[in-house]
Amino acid sequence: MYGPRHLYSRHIHERELRFLALVLLTGCVIALQLGEGLRLAGLQGAGWRAIDLPALERRIDVGNLSEHEAVWYHEATRQETHATGAEQRP
Amino acid sequence: MTAVTCELCPRGCVIPEGAAGDCRIRVNLGGRLRATTYGRPSAVHIDPMEKKPLYHFLPGAPVFSIATAGCNLHCLNCQNWQLSQRGGEEMEEIYRLDPPELVRAAREEGCRSIAYTYSDPIVFYEYVYDTAELAHAQRLANCFITAAYINREPLRKLCGVIDAVNADLKAFDDGFYRRVNGATLKPVLDALVTMREEGVWLEVTNLLIPTLNDDPAMIRRLARWVHDELGPGTPLHFSRFQPLYRMRNLPPTPVETLDLARREAKDVGMEHVYVGNVLGHEGNSTYCPRDGTLLIGRVGFMITHYALTPDGRCPSCNERIPGVWRSAELFGEQP
Repeated sequence: MYGPRHLYSRHIHERELRFLALVLLTGCVIALQLGEGLRLAGLQGAGWRAIDLPALERRIDVGNLSEHEAVWYHEATRQETHATGAEQRP
Repeated sequence: MTAVTCELCPRGCVIPEGAAGDCRIRVNLGGRLRATTYGRPSAVHIDPMEKKPLYHFLPGAPVFSIATAGCNLHCLNCQNWQLSQRGGEEMEEIYRLDPPELVRAAREEGCRSIAYTYSDPIVFYEYVYDTAELAHAQRLANCFITAAYINREPLRKLCGVIDAVNADLKAFDDGFYRRVNGATLKPVLDALVTMREEGVWLEVTNLLIPTLNDDPAMIRRLARWVHDELGPGTPLHFSRFQPLYRMRNLPPTPVETLDLARREAKDVGMEHVYVGNVLGHEGNSTYCPRDGTLLIGRVGFMITHYALTPDGRCPSCNERIPGVWRSAELFGEQP
């Protein structure tokens, strides 16, 4: 009952479980990545882009980029904001 | 949280706080739209005017050429994609050149004109406008190299400080614009008409891409539209495509296609039709439309022959050739 054959099959069983867990974990990471990509792509379909805001602010702080106010814009109306999904923070 | 709507180009991006417009460089910070590359170009070069290409505007003049990151088009064949398809925060090279410093640098380098070019300067509109105003005050000309995807009112204001435009008319087909450039055709055509109405010197470039926009019927429609809406004297450049960026699957445009396009445009009455990106082609040079005299010979970006009279006429038949041939035509004679 506790011969070498049993030990062998029990060993395989644990290894398979670990492998299965690894596969599931990898799948979850891929799914999360894809989900985040799709979420951002869905938001950006409305004519705006998520950017690396901390990097932008750092470069503005050291003077490599500018805070010069643009012309030709207005505060978005409620209708514009709602229609384009811009009420969602990137 | 305050979103803003950008009114500069036909996209009309509605931008939430902390995000950028489609161009990547107009950013909503605290409910105000910021031109983040104002005074911060990432490309600064001195080019010959022929490289823009502007063939009927101060020929042979060196032009101080700048661009910042960002673009409002996303052409699959972009030749400057490292610059145009990135935001300011992604650039390795950024120069600090606010408008007064830029104008001073251009003068120190002996350039009598500044070109806003490489990416589409529409997206760094405020920087262009302020620099161009200062440049004019110091008798420097302003050249705007663009795909003309801009709204009418900002364009009208800009035309007050711009002297010459080379506008890229990418195809005479809205579907092409949507598939290849991520834009639409009609706003571009409207912008070209506005530029003509505002009296800016205008040349048009059409890059011919094999199988996508090289149909002779489409070329003929494009040339006819330019002829009817902008005038037969408008220089029209057919440029050779090179496989780049996300369009490496197509070959360079055959020279025969460019020759065919040139013939089609001449057939509809265009007087100055050029072939670009083909070294030594006879279509690089300017000829008198009345008697065929060679007026300006070009090899690449070099002028090898110049026979125009000082007031821009053919020396054989006295035909006036449309263009701006001397900076005195813009600013009057130097006091």
